[in-house]
Amino acid sequence: MKRRNFILSLLAGAAAPLGLALLGRLPERWRLHRVLRPPGARPEEEFADLCIGCGQCASVCPNTCIRMLNFERGLDDLATPVIQPRAKACILCMACTQVCPTGALRKLPATQEGMLAVRMGTAVVSEDLCYSFSGRTCGSCYHACPLPGKAMTVGLYEQPKVNSDYCVGCGLCEQACVQMPQAIRVMPRGYQRSSGNGGAS
Amino acid sequence: MAAPLRKRFPSGMVLLLTSVVTRVGVLLLLCGIAWNTIYINFKVAHNNARLVELSAGSTTRFFYERAEAFFGLFGDPLLIAQSSGGMTWSIRLMGVPFTDPIAALTVLSRGHGLELGFALGLLVPLLLALLFGRVFCSYICPASLLFFTIGRLRRACRRFLLLPEITLNRGVAWGLLLGGLGATWLFGQGLWALLLPYLAVGHTLFQGLAFGVLSAGIGAILVFALLDMVFGSQFTCRNLCPTGRLLGAIGSRPLVRLHRHAPACPSRCNSCATICPMGVNPRADETRDCSLCGECLVVCPVNCLHVGVKSR
Repeated sequence: MKRRNFILSLLAGAAAPLGLALLGRLPERWRLHRVLRPPGARPEEEFADLCIGCGQCASVCPNTCIRMLNFERGLDDLATPVIQPRAKACILCMACTQVCPTGALRKLPATQEGMLAVRMGTAVVSEDLCYSFSGRTCGSCYHACPLPGKAMTVGLYEQPKVNSDYCVGCGLCEQACVQMPQAIRVMPRGYQRSSGNGGAS
Repeated sequence: MAAPLRKRFPSGMVLLLTSVVTRVGVLLLLCGIAWNTIYINFKVAHNNARLVELSAGSTTRFFYERAEAFFGLFGDPLLIAQSSGGMTWSIRLMGVPFTDPIAALTVLSRGHGLELGFALGLLVPLLLALLFGRVFCSYICPASLLFFTIGRLRRACRRFLLLPEITLNRGVAWGLLLGGLGATWLFGQGLWALLLPYLAVGHTLFQGLAFGVLSAGIGAILVFALLDMVFGSQFTCRNLCPTGRLLGAIGSRPLVRLHRHAPACPSRCNSCATICPMGVNPRADETRDCSLCGECLVVCPVNCLHVGVKSR
């Protein structure tokens, strides 16, 4: 009788978090899609396995660009770190990669090699919106780029061209863009355009 | 017999006061780590007290200068400030890591190994549990301070209200632990921030103070507080908290524990078992789940209980 009570309560207890987790799964189309993880983050699947949401990366970030998610991506990604580059972009200081306790962020040095090892995303220019593509000269994104000449080159009227082999996805160009809405956006690696709200965030 | 015991061992009141002081300390530490983030931001962005005042006001300048002077005692202020971070889940204090056993279990359950620093961070929590039992619950856990306060309020209300004290089967908390691990294995670890009260407090403090964002954890805190008010004092700690149950099992035979001087114990008194917020019965010499909070020492009419090192 005692053992039966224990097992029944065990099952009741186990049902609660499993049910909560099922309820907290947002449908794919409601989720925040354009999620940039901090630099040094492993591929999203592996990152989700390792990140425990302790907030150490967010608390050492000197630019306070790393925020913790609430329910934007449902319960699965609650408390995981995210960078929203239009609000505040990553300055690639690599402080967060040094402190991650579980290795969800790989340790990277704050050098050019370390920077180039970052694979947060790729910047995508929208020529319809870009100031320089409509006959004026701007160049804000080029001047904000931490890897000018490599990740981004400019042509006539400082028209930006992103080289996705070198672009690390820090988002400084997106933060600096003078247009509203921004003409250059960072798309996370492996981002599928069909699955969502077109990257609006 | 009672008099010498009271001299040699800490009395119940001392234990209770210590537990409140240490938990307030942990709470302030969590606030300090959240404010530390703001300090790091000002340090890197401005690095100048006058600039801080111009951009954020004279109060911020005051705290900025104090923080700079404090961290300056140990070395480069920025490096020292960046050597602390995190919350009760996984925290670094001046570079020393501490890890929640459940955080380690979560990473293991998803099929990954533990990093060295992360694994070493387990040492102190596990040693504390082995030596002192479930002391995390009444000396460190920032959420239990809230539940302790609610328990005191309930005790005051009990004079004119009939309030229940419900104790559930131990299986519920074990089920929550297993279900939580299962849910994190299937979906993601985000659930823990709602399931563990101290983590909800940590996230709420961190997001609120560092970023001015209301965390989802506040909802969990409100639910747990409501359960505590309705169903029993420290209902969450006693019945629901998976961490408490795990630490109670790890430290079921601790080195420092509650002792009862059986000959002095009156046969008809049951005050210690009634008051225990963790549902332990000191009269039956139970040690499992005892968090050394000192409540029973205070109410014992003959002072036959004391906390000390295991004698046998």
